[in-house]
Amino acid sequence: MSRYEMMSRYEMMSRYEMMSRYEMMSRDDAIDGSPVHHTFGPPVIAGIRERAELGRYPIRGWGARRAVPDFDDLLLLTASASRYPLEGYRERCDTRTVLGARRAARPVVLDIPITIAGMSFGSLSANAKEALGRAASQVGTSTTTGDGGMTPEERSASRTLVYQCLPSRYGFNPVDLRAADAVEIVLGQGAKPGGGGMLLGQKVGARVAGMRTLPEGVDQRSASRHPDWTGPDDLKIKIEEIREATDWQVPVYVKIGATRVDHDVRLAVAAGADVVVVDGMQGGTGATQDAFIEHTGIPTLAAVRLAADALADLGLTGDVGLIISGGVRTGADVAKALALGADAVSLGVAPLIALGCNAPTYRLPAAGEPAGAGAGIEVDVSAEYTALGTAPGHCTHCHTGACPVGITTQDDALAARLDPALGARRVANYLRALAMETTMLARACGKSDVHRLEPEDLVALTVEAAAMARVPLAGTDWIPGR
Amino acid sequence: MGELTTAVHDPDSADSADSADEVVFDLAVMSTRHVNAALRALPAGARAQVVNPAGRHNLAVGLSRAIRVRIAGPAGYYVGGLGAAADVDVDGPAGWGVGENLMSGTVRVRGAASQSAAASAHGGLVVVEGDASLRAGISLKGGRLAVAGDVGRYCAFLAQAGTILVGGDAGEALGDSLYEAVIYVAGRVRGLGTDARVEDLTDADVAAVRALAADAGFDHVDPQNVTRVASARSLYHFDTAQHAAY
Amino acid sequence: MCGIAGLHLKDHALRERLGSMVTGMLRGVAERGPDSAGVAIHDPGGLRVRKDVGDPLAFADRIDLAGQTGLRALAHTRMATESAVTAAHCHPFVAGTAPAADGSPAPPGGMPLDGTELCLVHNGSFANHATIRRRLAAAGVTTETDNDSEVAARYLAARLGAGDDLAAALRRLTATFDGFFTLAVTTADSFAVVRDPIGCKPAIIAETDQWVAMVSEYRALLGLPGLADATVFEPEPEEVYLWAS
Repeated sequence: MSRYEMMSRYEMMSRYEMMSRYEMMSRDDAIDGSPVHHTFGPPVIAGIRERAELGRYPIRGWGARRAVPDFDDLLLLTASASRYPLEGYRERCDTRTVLGARRAARPVVLDIPITIAGMSFGSLSANAKEALGRAASQVGTSTTTGDGGMTPEERSASRTLVYQCLPSRYGFNPVDLRAADAVEIVLGQGAKPGGGGMLLGQKVGARVAGMRTLPEGVDQRSASRHPDWTGPDDLKIKIEEIREATDWQVPVYVKIGATRVDHDVRLAVAAGADVVVVDGMQGGTGATQDAFIEHTGIPTLAAVRLAADALADLGLTGDVGLIISGGVRTGADVAKALALGADAVSLGVAPLIALGCNAPTYRLPAAGEPAGAGAGIEVDVSAEYTALGTAPGHCTHCHTGACPVGITTQDDALAARLDPALGARRVANYLRALAMETTMLARACGKSDVHRLEPEDLVALTVEAAAMARVPLAGTDWIPGR
Repeated sequence: MGELTTAVHDPDSADSADSADEVVFDLAVMSTRHVNAALRALPAGARAQVVNPAGRHNLAVGLSRAIRVRIAGPAGYYVGGLGAAADVDVDGPAGWGVGENLMSGTVRVRGAASQSAAASAHGGLVVVEGDASLRAGISLKGGRLAVAGDVGRYCAFLAQAGTILVGGDAGEALGDSLYEAVIYVAGRVRGLGTDARVEDLTDADVAAVRALAADAGFDHVDPQNVTRVASARSLYHFDTAQHAAY
Repeated sequence: MCGIAGLHLKDHALRERLGSMVTGMLRGVAERGPDSAGVAIHDPGGLRVRKDVGDPLAFADRIDLAGQTGLRALAHTRMATESAVTAAHCHPFVAGTAPAADGSPAPPGGMPLDGTELCLVHNGSFANHATIRRRLAAAGVTTETDNDSEVAARYLAARLGAGDDLAAALRRLTATFDGFFTLAVTTADSFAVVRDPIGCKPAIIAETDQWVAMVSEYRALLGLPGLADATVFEPEPEEVYLWAS
């Protein structure tokens, strides 16, 4: 056992204990009748103490915790007298989604406009990756590799697999490249636009280290720029190389973290992207500096409109695909994102929750029960969350690798807690439910295809959301700034 | 798309090509896409020559069979990139990322190589007979890079595994944030990057340098007289005293 | 976000061929910047600057670039980042270096040109140009566009106006500007190249007894007379390369 493994779990966890305990308290909690200090409230005090102890930035998983304007701040104007609704369950409402038909011989064709985002094997267990791939295949959508290469389990489980090309190039190779259904060149992600990947040593086990060509147990910090190009003029040449190596068969996506979205989308298109993936600040991560997660990028709500408008201004709406990610949770979120101009959405944290992330229990097939067929047995692991200094429903400790439900871990015993078939069934159920909600809302808006939702189907509940989404404040015709 | 100057070997007509036959592709009349598709269709053992490259990008990328390709002139970015098994020979200078992400086989540049030579190469051998500019061997993942002349700044940045031999001088910040790759420099080292250090030369190092120099065809490198640069491994784990380093 | 090229003739006997040499160089960087193009040509008779939107090769034909004479030239092709691709946003950026009567550098970038101006082409992207633009404005140096590269041209011209020589002004620029840049700069008598400390944008220099050429990609050198015997190298980051006639 390496020095790092020995110090790994419990020592690392205790460092985060204090922070997490205070995170569970609301800012508005009053103790002994005295009001909570707003500048130096309990989370701030805990954060200062943690930094004083660590001598470095706190690191955690998931996306921004803070409240930002989001899809909940929009409402759909469904049909009434001026517009006629379509009947649910009977009248057609298409969800088929085609991405990358402009240049690729084999565009990505999905049954639903809801995809699974890139999450690495390393950050996630092999079982979790397999479960996501199986779920995506069951509902006819795509899943995506991550900063660690493609596993055979993932490839065989996934009908449509998007292969990421990241600055680190961990595990990147031409064989897997040609086995992919699309290639996604990652410039950044919403949780840390401008930053590189991170995987703490306790998750860099033998298989992960082997796939990434890294020594076991290192605190892996990846590059933030690609090793062989910088800037859109050189990205254009890189994209051509990927096309040549894949014989122009599959679409090339370019993923950006949402910051200067208008410029960045235009440049991605100029560089030759078939699909632009825009990840808002609520987008998750397996491990990143908390300061990055909470203080960089723009909300997904603002990003989707900026990206859609940039494509429209270029006259490429529909020709260049737009995938939006970062905090998409419900069919209502999906419908609103599509209405604002996305061709599809991508989900990371939400499918993990469907898999069992933050659940107080994990489930395994009962003895003699076919995997994924029954309810299985349920084991309570609340105490393990407590040992991590957190609780079910509050956990963002993906970086520790000590995931009590076996999702964000490389520990074999923990990983065995996630049954891929059972997990896949839950994720597939969740994705189906999202698709049903999306079509339900689209039909109510009178649309026979979810892609016919439009910004005019939306109003905003807040001035902020109205300004960002550029839809009128509810009950008015006022769009701030117009 | 133009006509071929000579007949293209039909990959379906034979399982292996007579190595005496060399197919010639002329980029003055064919597109890069056409030439690459034709190269990829060649059977193992085939030989091809690509004439009039004129610095075009993405030549001979994604090859996966043991063929020999000669690029008769200067090549642009990523020549021989994402390749396996093939031997690609550039008779002139090469642009950025020559042999990037190479898996096996050889890419040889009979001239200077621009930035990021052998970037992220997992295997195989990239030989640069002239100088290589910035970031040679960046992110190297097990491949070998041999540069007869000098390398510019930031050589072997974040290099993870593999071997780099520099026949001339190395620029500043050599081996910055190095993992397990090892660099040998025959000339002067202008400066080491963060976490890179000079280490004693062992018999195994001498043997590795001798083998690499022989494979590269370098006769100006004395294997006993090179500087070994490797990682001090102080960045492997978070260290509060090293904030300026990352 | 573009392709750049610069040519400085040491042998003035090549003056009649400068236009055709630059045309070949522009062609070699055209793919890097398909949306617009521009050239600046210094001739003993003065400075000619032409820029326009559209295909760089058509632009070269339209202005009869091959027929132009001169001793020094810059060329630029641009990958547009703004919806309105305008000639004003094209490089080269031109900035007057001689102090005007009121103390501000003149002319403020517009025509007519008197041949003393500084011309600049840039490949890359600055990260702190807004602050420098504000500082320049506070000092009375105004910009005509929101383009980051124009700020560099104004900055250099202001430094020359303040008494720096070109090499000193470029060294000061590399210490002042953040971001990625390969810059080629010409004045009435000089040609200079400088790159940022990280060297993230490409640059290749070729030099013979007759000429010095700087380009984004090697293929833009092909066709220059005597290339086979030229010294070809990539400029070191932060180092100022300067040739004066």
